[in-house]
Amino acid sequence: MLVRRCVAGDAAAWEEIVQTYNRRIYNICYRFAGSADDAQDLAQEVFIKMYRTLASYDSSKGAFVTWVTTITRNLLVDHFRKTKQDRITDSLDAATSAHEDALPLSEQIQDQSAPPDARVRSREVQEAVHAALAKLSPELREALILRDLQDFDYREIATVLKVPEGTVKSRINRGRAELARLMQRTYRQVM
Amino acid sequence: MQCVEFDGLLTDALDGVLTGGQLDRFQAHSRSCSVCGPLFAEVGAGRSWLKDLTEVEPPAGLVTNILACTTGVDTQRLGVNVSAAQPRISWIAARWEGVQAWASGAMLPIWGTVRQPRFAMSFGMAFFSLSVALSVLGVKPADLRQISLRPTAIRHTYYNTQARVVRYYDNIKLVYEVQAAVRELKRNVAPAERPAGEAAPDKKDHKNDTTQQPEQKQDRNYSQNEGHLILACAPLGPSVFDQLSPDPVNPDLPVVSVTTYRRLV
Repeated sequence: MLVRRCVAGDAAAWEEIVQTYNRRIYNICYRFAGSADDAQDLAQEVFIKMYRTLASYDSSKGAFVTWVTTITRNLLVDHFRKTKQDRITDSLDAATSAHEDALPLSEQIQDQSAPPDARVRSREVQEAVHAALAKLSPELREALILRDLQDFDYREIATVLKVPEGTVKSRINRGRAELARLMQRTYRQVM
Repeated sequence: MQCVEFDGLLTDALDGVLTGGQLDRFQAHSRSCSVCGPLFAEVGAGRSWLKDLTEVEPPAGLVTNILACTTGVDTQRLGVNVSAAQPRISWIAARWEGVQAWASGAMLPIWGTVRQPRFAMSFGMAFFSLSVALSVLGVKPADLRQISLRPTAIRHTYYNTQARVVRYYDNIKLVYEVQAAVRELKRNVAPAERPAGEAAPDKKDHKNDTTQQPEQKQDRNYSQNEGHLILACAPLGPSVFDQLSPDPVNPDLPVVSVTTYRRLV
């Protein structure tokens, strides 16, 4: 097993783990943090933490991907608590991420009216959804990311978030409804 | 179907796992309920918005950075393992290397704290104060360098110090005995030299009186009892009254009772 080899000191096994999971972890961090720079730093922190605690992984308690996601989620929550004050003071003029060519959210919304082509339109829709996702509360956001973006099943999400499955479903429903209302509001402003 | 039940089946309906009569009842409630119908539409819209989101590409240097961060830690860890796996010169050397590795790991955060400017200033001040105190006490580093740490030398120093302390207390005892003898002599000689002048030594003694007792002099006029009788006109000696009185032998003088009170100062 890859983890056992890594714990035994096999550097190649560790590199394989990094290659396998870096995309998933980076995406979770990016969707949760909302910023590419933060996502890169957080992903690195996740792997450092994972590397240090790899020996504590118990395969009988769950899948490795669930363990990795739990570490990621805990670190993201810690990061959110640390930067909570900064988030409160964010405005619509703040650039949400490096993937959006540093355009403020207000300009992105205004640009929705006249997309040059379908590819640009798709990209702008994604950025608007990303911005709306960032406005959700962290509880709803993490549930949506794990379910709709990472395709975890409810039981796995319940394990990661340490809440009952019913709570997971409820958060997912509330999150989706809230996101739809935010998107509706965004397009209504543009129109 | 109740709204609570509808809410519980919302995710299953969107995932397409509802079948049969349960799906029919769900759809019927969705059409009839003014709250649950729009909610179902919103949840479905939100889900479809999120499905539009595609994965983003991680930065090109992410894997390299992660491996650099972690293999940096790995190098240290493997360094200890490699040194343990190498043929050992002796178990003491291997143990010493292990202790060194542990100490370097344990002391690293302490050393990092100590290197802060405020701690450096504190240590500098402490060193300066210590050096000043040692120079004032006459301790020289050159003397410390000459101290021999051989067991025989240490034992010799111990006995010398012990003998010096014993001699010191013996000398102190002798001094006290001489002082006591001189004091006794003075006490025996002093009354013969000054038989009449008792007041003068008393006055001197008050200076060294540590008994915290009030002076006798202060109580001189206030030490009499309240019922003590004082004659208003006592035969103190020959006076004008003696000449005027017809019968000086039996004057039959009136007695006046005087009450005195202690003056509080």
